[in-house]
Amino acid sequence: MNTASQEEFIHKIKIALGKPLAESQRNVDFFKSDMSDETRGILERIKNRTPEERKKLLATLIEAAGPINLKVISCEDINSVTAAIADLVRDKDPEWGAKKSVVAWQHPLIENLNLPEALSPQDVTVFFTDVKETESGNLRQHVIDSYIGITAADFCMADSATMVMRTRPGQARSVSLVPSIHVAVIELNQIIADLKELYALLKWDPQESKEGLTNCMTFISGPSKTADIEATMVHGAHGPRQVHVYVITS
Amino acid sequence: MSSQKKVTLFIQCLVDTIYPEVAEAMVQVFRRLGISLTCPTDQTCCGQPAFNSGYRRQAQVAAKHFIEVFEDSELIVCPSGSCVNMVRHHYAELFRNNPQWLQRAQDLAGRTYEFSEYLVDVLGVDDLGARFDGKVTYHDSCHLLRGIGVQKQPRKLLHHISGTDFIEMHNSDYCCGFGGAFSVKYPDISNAMVTDKVKNIIDTGADAVVACDMGCLMNIQGKLSRMGSDIKVMHLAQILAS
Amino acid sequence: MAKITTENYVAEAKKAIKNQVLQEALADLQHRFGRGTAECYRQLPEGPDLRLRAHDIRMKDIENLDVVLETLVANIRKNGGHVYFAEDGQAAVNYCLEVAHKHKVRRVVKGKSMVSEEIGLNDALVEAGIDVSETDLGEYIIQLAGETPSHIIAPAIHKTRSEIGSLFADKLDIPYDDDPSRLTWAARKALREKFLAADMGTSGCNIACAETGHITTLSNEGNIRMSTTMPRIHVAFMGMERVAARLEDHDILLRLLCRGAAAQNMATYVSYIGGPRSAGEVDGPQEFHLVVLDNGRSRILADEEFREMLCCIRCAACLNVCPVYAKIGGHSYGYAYSGPVGAVVTPLLVGINRAADLCQGETLCGACQDICPVNIDIPRMLLALRTKLAEGDSAWGVTPADRKEKLLFQAWSWMIRNRRLYDAAVKLAATGQRLFAQKDDMIGRLPPPVHGWTKGRDIKPLAAESFISRWKKSL
Ligand code: SF4
Repeated sequence: MNTASQEEFIHKIKIALGKPLAESQRNVDFFKSDMSDETRGILERIKNRTPEERKKLLATLIEAAGPINLKVISCEDINSVTAAIADLVRDKDPEWGAKKSVVAWQHPLIENLNLPEALSPQDVTVFFTDVKETESGNLRQHVIDSYIGITAADFCMADSATMVMRTRPGQARSVSLVPSIHVAVIELNQIIADLKELYALLKWDPQESKEGLTNCMTFISGPSKTADIEATMVHGAHGPRQVHVYVITS
Repeated sequence: MSSQKKVTLFIQCLVDTIYPEVAEAMVQVFRRLGISLTCPTDQTCCGQPAFNSGYRRQAQVAAKHFIEVFEDSELIVCPSGSCVNMVRHHYAELFRNNPQWLQRAQDLAGRTYEFSEYLVDVLGVDDLGARFDGKVTYHDSCHLLRGIGVQKQPRKLLHHISGTDFIEMHNSDYCCGFGGAFSVKYPDISNAMVTDKVKNIIDTGADAVVACDMGCLMNIQGKLSRMGSDIKVMHLAQILAS
Repeated sequence: MAKITTENYVAEAKKAIKNQVLQEALADLQHRFGRGTAECYRQLPEGPDLRLRAHDIRMKDIENLDVVLETLVANIRKNGGHVYFAEDGQAAVNYCLEVAHKHKVRRVVKGKSMVSEEIGLNDALVEAGIDVSETDLGEYIIQLAGETPSHIIAPAIHKTRSEIGSLFADKLDIPYDDDPSRLTWAARKALREKFLAADMGTSGCNIACAETGHITTLSNEGNIRMSTTMPRIHVAFMGMERVAARLEDHDILLRLLCRGAAAQNMATYVSYIGGPRSAGEVDGPQEFHLVVLDNGRSRILADEEFREMLCCIRCAACLNVCPVYAKIGGHSYGYAYSGPVGAVVTPLLVGINRAADLCQGETLCGACQDICPVNIDIPRMLLALRTKLAEGDSAWGVTPADRKEKLLFQAWSWMIRNRRLYDAAVKLAATGQRLFAQKDDMIGRLPPPVHGWTKGRDIKPLAAESFISRWKKSL
C-alpha cells in the first residue's frame, strides 16, 4: 500500500539529513550480524547459572515485586501450585458475574496442573484457549466470562519483577488481561536478571531468536493501576486487579 | 597567599549599578586574604540580557567589548554565577561561526571564576573567620547550580561562619522566577514563582537569605519588601565580609 | 487539525495561577514525579549519566532516520502489518477514516497517544459519526468533561475527586461518590463495555524497534493493551522519529523512559506489537496499521539547531520539574504538548511567531535538561527560537516579533561598548527614578515598559554611585 508516498517521505528525510538520495541502506553499521563479547558473556552467564544464583534471582524478584503489589509465591512442586490455585479459586469471588469460571492457556506447564480435575469439586469450569475453543467461536466469550486467567510466561525479569509473554497459538493474550485475577506459573530457571539479558536472548540465542518477539510480546509488571484521580493509587484500572506468580522451585 | 595570581574583578552590571556594596564586600574578603586586585574601569556588561532575549548581534558587541577589556587578565572573578555561565558557555554559542573570536572567548572562559567557586576550588579556603548571628538559608541560583555546577561551595563557606544556624529551605534549587526580561514580560508568572520561593524562605524562619547572584536576590528582595518582611537579603560576599 | 490556542498563553497562565486546586495538584506532581525521577536516576547502576548515552543512541537513530525507518516498515510489512506514510495530520486522519470506513467501524477505543492529540483524531472520528472513547482514565475524565488534557502523563490533574464524582454521577448515571477507588472502578466497568464492543482500537507508539519490526506501547492501566487486543483492527500512530534501530538500545531507552515518565522501574504493561495476529493465534487484532507521521518533523530534522528535539520520547519528565509549568499548567501552552517540550516543539510545529510566548515565557533555569532521559538541551533551543523571533528568519517564516525592543537593544549595544556612554545612561536613569515613589529605600512603582516588575514586587533603586566609580576614587 502506498509505496509512492513512502518513497517521497523517505526522500524528504534524506534531503533533511543532507544525504545523497541514492545512498544504499547498508552503509550503516547498525544492524551488525556478529555478536559482541559483552553479549557472549551475558549468554554464558545465563547458561551457566547455578541453582544458588537462581535462588538469588528469585529473592530479587520477590523484593522487586513487593512495591508494585505483585504477589510472588514460591512452590516446591507443581502439585502445590495446583493446590494453591484451588485455594485461590475458593477464596476469591467473581467481579462481574456470579458464576465462577477460569480460563487457561494451552501450555504444557499449565496442562500439567490438572486444573479441571482439581477444580471440579468446586464446580468451577476451566476453559482452555486451544484451537478447539477457537473454532467453536466461544473463546472470546469464555475469556470475558472468566474471573481468573492462568498463563505461563517465557521469562521473568527479576530486576523489575516483569513477566515476559509472547503470543502463540493456544496462548491467548487476553487471558492475562481481561479476567480480574491473573495467575502466572513459571519455573525457577525462567527467571533472568534484567532487560539486557532478555534482549541478548531474544536476539542471539539460536532457539529464541528463531521465534523472535512474535507479533505481540508483552511485559507485565504487577496488576493494572492508575493514579489519575487526585494522584491516589488504585489497582485494577482496566487490567487485572491482582496478579499472582507461582514459581516452581524444584 | 602571596603567591596567588592577581585577581581581576568582573563586576556584574546589577552589582555595579544597584548593589555596589556587594562588590565592596567581595573586595574586603579578598583583601583579608591578601589577594592583590585590579578592576578594569571600562567594563560594562557581559551581554547576557541581549543574548537571553535573542539579540545575538547585540550580545556579540557586548561580548567583544568584554573580551577586549579582560583579555590580559590572569584570573577573573565575578560575584555572579549567571555572568560566569554566560562567559563560560554562551560565548562559545555566540561565536560559533567566528573561530578567531571563539578562541579568544574560550581562553578567557578558562580563567573566569565565580566568587565562591574561586574561594573553595581554587584557593582551597572555606573558613574566612566571618561571624553572623542568626539563622541563614541559601537559594541555589539556576545558572550557578545547573550552568556551572556550583552547589557545595557556598554551603561550605556558610557552614564555617560562626554564630550562624544554617537551614536548608524546601526546593532551594527551584528557580525564583527572575529570568531577566522574563520577570518584566511575564510578571504574573514571575510573581507566582517568587511568591513560592519567598514562602519557602519564610518557612525556614531564617533571619537572612543568601545567594550568589544579585538577579535572584533582587527578585527575592523585591517580593520580601512588598510583603513587609524584614528578612535580610545578602550576597554570599556580604555575609562573608561581616 | 487540533485546535491551537498558543496566543492565549498569558491569559491562560493567569487563570491557572489563580486556580488553587490546580496549584496544589501541580506542586504535588512536581514533588512526587519530579523529585522521584531524579532519585530513580541516582539509583541506576550506571547513574544519571546513562542519559548521555541515551542521547547518543537517539541522535544516531535520528541521523540515520531514513534507513532506520525503512527497516522498521519493511519488517512490519513482513509480519503482515500495513504501513502508511502521512505527510501531515490531515493525511493521517484521512487514512484512519478510510480504514474505519472500509471495515464499517462504528466504535473506536483510543489508547492515549500524543500524536493523535496533535492531529485532532478524536474530533475527526466523531465528525464521521463514529463513537470514540478515550480509555486512559485521565483522558476519559477529560473527554466526559469536554476538556483537553493538561499534562502528558496525568491529563486530569486539574480535576478534584468531587468534580469527578459529580461528572460520573451525571454522565455514567451512578450515585455520587468521591472515593478514588470506587470512581476508578466505575470507569473500569463503563470502559470494559466499550473495549468489548469496539471494532477498532488506536494507539500511539512510545519507541519502535526497527530491526525486529515492532512498535511499543506502555501503560500502567492496561487500557492500551485492551485497545490493541480486543477490537478487530488496530491503528497505531507514530511520529516518524519515534524509532530506535536495535533491540539492545531499548534496554537503556525503556529503563529511562519509565523512570522519566512516572519514576518507576517499569511500566505495568509494555507491549511490542509487530503485526496482526498470526495464523493459528486465537486473539489479537486481525488487521494492524501503522501510520508514520511527518507533520512538520522533516523541517525540524533539516535544521541542525533543532534536530536534537527529535530525540524526545515524550516522557513528560521535563514538565514535572519545570517551575513555570508548575505555576501555569498544561492548558496555557495551547496545544497537545506542554511544558518545556511543548515550548520548543509547538513553535516548530505550529509557527514560531504564533507561539512567541512559548519561546519567551521561561526563565531558562535548566531543570528540564537535567531531568530529560535523553538529555535534550531545551534551554539552548529556547534561546535559538528567541533569536529567530528577535531577528526574523526566512527559512522558518519568522518576522521580528518586537521592533521597539530591537531598537532598544540596538541602542544598548552602542552604550555597552563605551563606559562613558554607559555611565551617562545610568546617571540619566538614576535621575529619572527620583520621580517614583520610594518607601524604605525601595521603589514600589516603575513606568512602562518595566512596570510589570512592580506589579507584585518592589525594587531597589540605582545606587548613588556605581562600584566602578567608587573603585576609581578610593579602592
Ligand atoms: S524533552 Fe526530554 S524530558 Fe521532556 S518529554 Fe521529551 S524526552 Fe521527556
